[in-house]
Amino acid sequence: MKIVIVTNYAGEKMFRYFKSTLILLMIFMLFGCSLSSSGEEEKSQKELTLLFNFPTNTIDPHLDSNYTMVRAGVGETLVKISEDLKIEPWLAEEWKSKDGQNWTFKIREGVTFHNGKKVDAQAVKASLERAIKDSPAVKAALKIRKMEANGQLLTIRTEEVFPQFPSELVHPNTAIIDVTEKDFDQKPIGTGPFKVSSFEPGVALKVERFDEYWNGKAKLDKATFSFNEDANARLMALQSGDADIIFRPPVENLEQLKEEKVKVDSVPGLRTHQLLFNMDSPYMKDENVRKAIDALVDRKEIVEHILNGHAVEAKGPFLTDFPFAPSYEEKKRGIEAARQYFTQAGFQAENGKLTKDGKSVQFKVLTYSSRPELPLIVQILQSKAKELGIEMTIQQVENIDEYLAANDDWDFATYSSLTAPRGDAAYFLNATYMPNGALNYANMNHPELIAVINQLNQTVEVNERNKLAREAAKIIDKEMLHSFIVHPNIIVAYRDGVKNWVTSKSEYYMLTKDLDVEK
Amino acid sequence: MIHIAKRLIEFMLFLLLLSFISFIFIKLAPGDPVKQMLQVDEVSITKEQIEALRDELKFNEPLHIQYWYWLKRFFQFDLGNSYITNQPVLTELLSRFPATVMLTCASLIVMILISIPLGTLSALYKNKWVDHMSRLFALVGSSIPSFWLGLLFIEWFAVKLGILPSMGKGTVKHIILPSLTLGIAMSAVYVRLLRSSLLESLNEDYVKAARARGISERRIFFFHVFRRSLIPVITIFGMSLGSLISGTVVIEVLFSYPGMGKMVVDAIIRRDYPVIQGYVLFITILIVMINIFVDICYRYLNPEIRLKGVERR
Repeated sequence: MKIVIVTNYAGEKMFRYFKSTLILLMIFMLFGCSLSSSGEEEKSQKELTLLFNFPTNTIDPHLDSNYTMVRAGVGETLVKISEDLKIEPWLAEEWKSKDGQNWTFKIREGVTFHNGKKVDAQAVKASLERAIKDSPAVKAALKIRKMEANGQLLTIRTEEVFPQFPSELVHPNTAIIDVTEKDFDQKPIGTGPFKVSSFEPGVALKVERFDEYWNGKAKLDKATFSFNEDANARLMALQSGDADIIFRPPVENLEQLKEEKVKVDSVPGLRTHQLLFNMDSPYMKDENVRKAIDALVDRKEIVEHILNGHAVEAKGPFLTDFPFAPSYEEKKRGIEAARQYFTQAGFQAENGKLTKDGKSVQFKVLTYSSRPELPLIVQILQSKAKELGIEMTIQQVENIDEYLAANDDWDFATYSSLTAPRGDAAYFLNATYMPNGALNYANMNHPELIAVINQLNQTVEVNERNKLAREAAKIIDKEMLHSFIVHPNIIVAYRDGVKNWVTSKSEYYMLTKDLDVEK
Repeated sequence: MIHIAKRLIEFMLFLLLLSFISFIFIKLAPGDPVKQMLQVDEVSITKEQIEALRDELKFNEPLHIQYWYWLKRFFQFDLGNSYITNQPVLTELLSRFPATVMLTCASLIVMILISIPLGTLSALYKNKWVDHMSRLFALVGSSIPSFWLGLLFIEWFAVKLGILPSMGKGTVKHIILPSLTLGIAMSAVYVRLLRSSLLESLNEDYVKAARARGISERRIFFFHVFRRSLIPVITIFGMSLGSLISGTVVIEVLFSYPGMGKMVVDAIIRRDYPVIQGYVLFITILIVMINIFVDICYRYLNPEIRLKGVERR
C-alpha cells in the first residue's frame, strides 16, 4: 500500500520532469532552427550547391584522387578533353613536338592566379615539378625527364618517346597552381573561374567567383561543392532544396523526380564493364570458348533490367564517339550461337550437359560488389550457361585487383575500368595488353597486338595514332581477348532553375563559368 | 603515487602490445596502398613501377622490421603521414575529432533526455500504459536500422517540413538530426535497463528501512534508489561512449558528417596503414580515459565501491 503512495507521488514528479524535458527538447530544436536562419545567405546572390557522390579529405589538386579542384572550377590543366572527346587547349594555347619526346607548350597569355600573379612558363614548371614530387601517380603518368621555362614557352623532354603526352596533361592532378602559396590542402591558388572560400574535409568546398578570370566572369556569385555517399540522402537533399544538382540519384526514383520538375541527364560515361578471360585457364586459351561466353552475354537484358536503361551496349573497349573506336561487324549472339562456338571448341552435349574430353565443364567466375551491377550480370550469365549445360561457380571477392594479381585459379572475371579517360587509347592498350601492364591480369601476350601497340607508342601524328588504335581494337575484337559488355551512364539530376548544366562524359568539369541559376 | 605509476607503466605496455598486434593484423590483410597511390585505374603504370614504390615504402621488408621503423617514429611522437592525402596522421585525427565529440555529446544528451524520464516512469508505473509504451518504444527503437531512421528524419524534417538541413556540418541545426537518430537508437536500450535497475532497487531492504525511519519518499527516491540504480547504466554508458567516439559510420555517411568512423573505414579500404595505426592508438587512449571516468562515477554513485575493492573483485 505504502509503495503505491510512493509511486504515485514520485510518478507525479516524474511526469512533471518528463514534461519539462519535452519543453527543453523543443527549445533545443527551435534554437537550432533559429540559428540557421541567421546563417541564411543573401538571396540577391546567384548561388548553387552541387552534391557529388564521393567525399574528399583534401583539395590539394596534386593529391586529391577526387579531382575536386578541377571539378569545382578552381583549378585548370594545360590541356582539356572536350565534350566530343577531343583533346583541346586550356592553359596551354598550343603545343608541338616533332619526335614525340621533346615538347614545346605555349602558355596562354593574360592568365592570372587567384592571388593576381601572372601565369607564365616558370609558374607552370614549378607547379608540375611539385605534382611530380608529391604524387607517384603524376610522376608515373607524365614521365618527364626535364623542363625549361622561357617566358610563355615551356619545353619538356620526356623519359622516352611519348606521343600521348599532351593527353596525360588532361589528368586533373596536373592542375596548375601557384606553388609559392603553401596552403595546398585548404586554400590552393588556381586559375579557374572560382576561387576557394572555405573547405571542410568530407563535407563541402565553398567557392566564390574570381572576377579576373581570363575567359570571362562566371555567372554564379558563389557555389558549394558538397559530398554525400548515400544515394537516398542525395535525393532527399535535392527534394529539400539543400542541393541544386546531385550526381547519381537512385535509379528507381528517376521517374518520381521527373514528376517533381527535376531534370535528369543520363549520358554514357567513359567506363566500360567487361569480362576478363584468364589466358592461363585451359578452357579460355581457346578463342571459340571466349566467343561462346561473349555470345551468352545478353547486353540488351543487362541494359534494360539491371541498369534500368541507363547504359549503352558496348561493342569494344571505347565509346563509339571516340575517333579511335572502329566500326565492328555484327556478331552472332544468343544460346544457339554459343552452342555452335562450344561445339567448334570440341565440347560435346551429353545428357543435357556439356562435356570436354569426357569431363563435365565448370567455370570459375570472379566478381565483386563495389559495382553492384557486376554480380547481377554474372548471375544472368550463369543462368544462360545452365541452359547450355555448363556449371559456373561464382566467387565474389572483396578487392578484385588484389585477387587477380595474386591468384590464377579463375576462368573469367567481371571488371570495370575507364578505358580512355583522357581522350587517348594508349593508356588502356598499354596497361591491359602489354606483358608488363599493370592491368594485364589475364596474362595476355599477343604478338600481333603488342606490335601494333609498340607502333602506336612511337607514332606522334594524331590521325595515324587513331588508325593504329582502331587496328588494335579490331584485333581484340577478332580474337575476343576481352568481352566488353556495357558503358554505364552518368546520371545527374538538377532543379529546374539550373541553367547551362553540362553532364561531362569525363566527369572532370562540373562547376563552369557558364553554369547559372535562376534567382 | 606508486599505484598511479604502476597503472601508467601497465598502460604503456598495453599500448605497445596493441600497436604491435594491430600492425601485424593490418599488414596480414591482403593488398597494400600502392595501387591506390598510383591510381591504377587511370594512369598507365607498369608492374615495375608498382614494385619500385613498394620498395620505396619498405613494404618488401620483413614485418618486424617494418614495425620497428614505425615504432622508432612513434617514440619521436611522429605517427607518420597518410599515404593517400600526405597529411600528418595526427592532423587528420585531430581535424575529425571535434566533430565526433560534438556528435557524441549531442547524441548522449538526446539519449539521457529520453531514457531517464521514460525509464523512471515505466519503473514507477510497472505494467501500466506508460510501461507498455516504453516497452514498445524500446522494441521499435532497437529494431529500426539507424540509417532508415535517419532517412525518415530527413524526409520529415528536411523534405516535408523544411526546418532542418538534410546533411552537412556548421551550425547547431546540422547536428540535430544525426544526434536524434543516434540518441533514439541508444535510448531504446537504456530505458529498459534503467527500469529493471530501478525496480530492483525499489525492492531492496534499505528502502523499507529508510521509510521506517521516516525519510521522505522524494529523498529516498532521488538520493538512494535512483542514484544506486545508475550503476549498471553507467557501465553500459561507458561502452556506448567508446563506440560513439570511435565512430558511427552509417550516420556519418548518411548525414555527410565528417567524423572519425568514416575516416578509418576509408583508411582500411585503402590500406592507409599510418592512419589506421594512429587511429587505433588514439582510440585506445580515449577508451582508457573513459574507463577511468566510469570508475570515478562508480565511486561517486556508491561510496562503498572503492578502487581497491574493485581490484579485489
